[in-house]
Amino acid sequence: MRYYRPTTTAEAVAALAGEAGTARVLVGGTDLLVALRHRTVEPSLLVDIKRVRDLRPPIDVESRAITFGPTVTMSAVAADPTVREWFPSLAEAALVVGSVAIRNRASLIANSANGSPAADTAPPLVALDASVTIASTSGERTVRLRDFFLGSRRTLCGPGEMVTSLRVPRPADGSSSCFLRMTRRRGVDLATVSVAAVVERDGRATAGLGAVGPVTLLGGPTGPVALWSEAEVENMVDELLSPATPIEDVRAGQTYRAAMLRVLARRAVLCAAGRRDAREPIRLTQEGDS
Amino acid sequence: MTEHASRTEVSTTTIDDDRAMTGAPLDSDAAGAMAVALAGGERTTGDGDQAHHVGTSVLRYGGADRVTGKQKFLSDLTFPDTAHVALVTLPVACATITDVRTAAAAVMPGVLTVMSAADLPQPMPRFGVSHQDRPVIADGQVRFHGEAVAAVVAETLDQAEAAARAVEVSYEETDGVFDLDQATAPDAALVVDPSARPADDEHRESNILETALYEWGDVATAAAQAHVVVENTYTFPMVTHFPIEPGGTVVTPTEDGGLEVHSPVQHPYLLQRTIATLLELPLAKVRVFAPDPGGAFGGKQTPKFEPLLAFLALKTGRTCRLVLSLEQTFQTMRRAGCRVVARTGFTADGCLVFHELECDYLIGAYADVAPRVMTKGSYVGAGPYRIPHVRTASRAVMSNTTPSTAFRGFGCPQVAWATESQLDAGARELGLDSLEIRRRNLIHRGEAFFRGPYEATADGDWHQSLEKAAELIGWDTPLPAGRGRGIAVAIKPGATSGLSQSLVRFLADGSAIAYAGTSDMGQGARTLWQQIVADELGTGLDKVTVVSGDTGVVPFDLQTSASRSTVFMGNAVLDACRDIRRRILSLYADSTGSEEDTLSEAPGLLVTPEGPLPLLEASRIALGSLGGEFVGQGIARMRGRKGHPLGGDAAFYEFNCTAIEVEVDLDTGELLLHKHISVSDVGTELNPTQVVSQDEGASIMGLGHSQMEQLLLDDRGLIRNLGALDYRIPTFKDVPIELVTHGIENHDGPGPYGSKGISEGALLCTAGALGAAASQATGVVIRDLPLTPERVWTALQQALDQTTT
Repeated sequence: MRYYRPTTTAEAVAALAGEAGTARVLVGGTDLLVALRHRTVEPSLLVDIKRVRDLRPPIDVESRAITFGPTVTMSAVAADPTVREWFPSLAEAALVVGSVAIRNRASLIANSANGSPAADTAPPLVALDASVTIASTSGERTVRLRDFFLGSRRTLCGPGEMVTSLRVPRPADGSSSCFLRMTRRRGVDLATVSVAAVVERDGRATAGLGAVGPVTLLGGPTGPVALWSEAEVENMVDELLSPATPIEDVRAGQTYRAAMLRVLARRAVLCAAGRRDAREPIRLTQEGDS
Repeated sequence: MTEHASRTEVSTTTIDDDRAMTGAPLDSDAAGAMAVALAGGERTTGDGDQAHHVGTSVLRYGGADRVTGKQKFLSDLTFPDTAHVALVTLPVACATITDVRTAAAAVMPGVLTVMSAADLPQPMPRFGVSHQDRPVIADGQVRFHGEAVAAVVAETLDQAEAAARAVEVSYEETDGVFDLDQATAPDAALVVDPSARPADDEHRESNILETALYEWGDVATAAAQAHVVVENTYTFPMVTHFPIEPGGTVVTPTEDGGLEVHSPVQHPYLLQRTIATLLELPLAKVRVFAPDPGGAFGGKQTPKFEPLLAFLALKTGRTCRLVLSLEQTFQTMRRAGCRVVARTGFTADGCLVFHELECDYLIGAYADVAPRVMTKGSYVGAGPYRIPHVRTASRAVMSNTTPSTAFRGFGCPQVAWATESQLDAGARELGLDSLEIRRRNLIHRGEAFFRGPYEATADGDWHQSLEKAAELIGWDTPLPAGRGRGIAVAIKPGATSGLSQSLVRFLADGSAIAYAGTSDMGQGARTLWQQIVADELGTGLDKVTVVSGDTGVVPFDLQTSASRSTVFMGNAVLDACRDIRRRILSLYADSTGSEEDTLSEAPGLLVTPEGPLPLLEASRIALGSLGGEFVGQGIARMRGRKGHPLGGDAAFYEFNCTAIEVEVDLDTGELLLHKHISVSDVGTELNPTQVVSQDEGASIMGLGHSQMEQLLLDDRGLIRNLGALDYRIPTFKDVPIELVTHGIENHDGPGPYGSKGISEGALLCTAGALGAAASQATGVVIRDLPLTPERVWTALQQALDQTTT
């Protein structure tokens, strides 16, 4: 295995193209280095892009969107005031990835775009209708994250390509979002199931669903719902969860996972709804290292 | 049978977890007494303004290095000319090995040797504490997932691992038994072929390795006297120790044909003896260095890969190094899972009439110390209660799973889970409060919890712990909505026999070196020796150095286990200090021409007719102008007791009361612990901070098996959650909102200054307290651990289904 540290995006994608799918992009390394040690991936080349000078800046706030670069860390995402205001669900998800040390190193783009169905940041980004830009030697293309995931660890980012930016549109006025996940313990853990809900001013909702299918799933958008009506919320939850296909694994049985998906979806919808007009500051719990 | 008739049987030779290490026959002397009077712990006073370090929270000896990363663990040690070892394992739990082809691997770059069973002496050398059943390397069969079939030694670890992947093993997977139902089925596949077991072993055609029976009174007829009888089955999962340092071994051949073995073990002297026996070397040519273990919890007691590394080192003539991964430690140590069928009778006012237990421990593929875990754990299975009729029948059942071994609590938490839950089941039937039913049944000092000729009685005022825990949790205060409270008690026998020795050198400048073989694995044992030596010799803490972890220079200590070190090694260190004082007195008399009987000694002092002299000054006068030093020897020995089911009376009991207040999320089954109180009967706190840290650590560890920890196997016996990703232990974020520990001090222990052993007590009954609290909060009783959110939620759903149908 060789190690290469390019200084331009062109060099990086050229290196990737030269390896016919056996190269891996290295950013934070929090996922890749573990895989290397366990030999679950055995690349021929590591392309470390942290010294690439023409990357998008970590966080670029524009009037109608935030664009993230490949080197933005979970800690930076969670601490950014605009992210917290516009995308509380994304900040909440970024705050539960790994531990403090991991979050200081882990890349948002790598976490959300590596195709793990349990990735914490993918559900909020899918629900918020983020899009990714993919670069290769033949140029750039931009796709919605909703269309990006093909299967577990399989995405539209093919051999010779890398994701160079992630754009999340500013949510409509009067909407808000919430991310909830279930884990086996309170300390560092992987999601057994996760839900990110976006609720619009008029009561329409969209949900990103994690760890309940081969890819991060999109539920909704639903029609407007009277959120004070328990029956209507239940119907909305039914609709949001219709794409989910929870299975049994070492983390949970199928029945429990399905039931918890429902509990979290209901709670996330009501939480997001409650955040819409109150204009109260979003309280984010700082996750400690443990 | 009359009420006090008693029968105690252990089916085969009783193996003491202490005695087992010495291999000594039971001492036929009368009731054991230690060389140092165990009760002789009262602090001598009259030492004027001597500083007292004992009883204060002095900083941990070596603690700064440990927390700053300066401490060198095994994997931090470097050795010249080291070769690296990689193990070959199979993706099966149970198989017959038909062929191991090593030729291709042997010629790979850097490879020094490849070893499998065929390369070892025949018959295969085997070792073990209670049964010598463990082969140095898999011998014709794999009995559990992860058992090493071959080992490669190469110049680099990468080369060794590459060659290990090139070793070809032909095998046929065979039927195995992975849980108690399978292992005890009439047609169960046998882990050990009957031909390998003694002809007169009545269990040789089954997976039962050993049994124990403790019985007094007559449970059969006692049921008629009971107002309420409750019968339930409880299970306790297989859990692994998860020391943060996985550990490993480095073995160096010496020029004189001996071996130096570096291994972070709790029992350097057992390892020394095992290696010497297997390699047919004199003990003096096997030197064991035991760097401080980074956590052990019982899992680093018995030898594991050290014999294999010793053979590899001798074959290659090179230093051989094996550092385990966390996954490999999962496959070398765990606690026995357990199923307990309990039947318990109470009078109308909640007094225990009888208690009947059938305890099956799932011990795994080799015996290790598991038979002793079974006998010792179920010995106190009926709990610290006044029960006229008891029958406890236990079995150690083999299985094709990781061999189980000693683990903090040593077989007691498994049965305490059942017994404490039965107390609460009785209380619910009778409409009694959980605290009240324990008040009525918990014995007072001197009362027997184990009856018959080997009667065992309460060695503390245990009601004080119960009442203190109730007070600290606010048992009488109103319970907030959605919450439940539980309270539980349990005991564990301390060490029952064994020898600890110490040497202390009192140097010319008043500094001192204590040689004490206790392994410091995080409990802070060395701090106590430093405190004792400083007080007894009247010197400063910073002038006392402790040497441990080297069988070449430190005298024999049986082991670091059973919470014995404070009592046994503590007494040995104390004895060594007093030996120094007596030697100073004697030489002082000689040097000054005074009569010995005009002199006396006290901590830090020689008392002369002219007044007290600081010990250092007295020693200088005694030694004269050429100087020198004094060497004191200390011995603490406790003999066994012939016929005793444990081989001897316990030197002390660890008693604990735990109370927990929990809130349950009824939608998800998640538990939120608001309060967790742990009160232990500790005798005397030699270092209060260390007592707290041990009790806090044990409490949190107890929450592990109570809430989340379990080894999950697939239907072929492979560990599904092999590694930190899916085997979950509590983190600091899982700790209760309020965790309070408290020590009851009556200065009534057999250790120095009235101390008792501690550090296991606080996890004995965590599960019982949590289970009762969760039951009260939910109205649902769960009898299987751990209480995962999924299990709690499922139980709630089942209860809901039953009420709606």
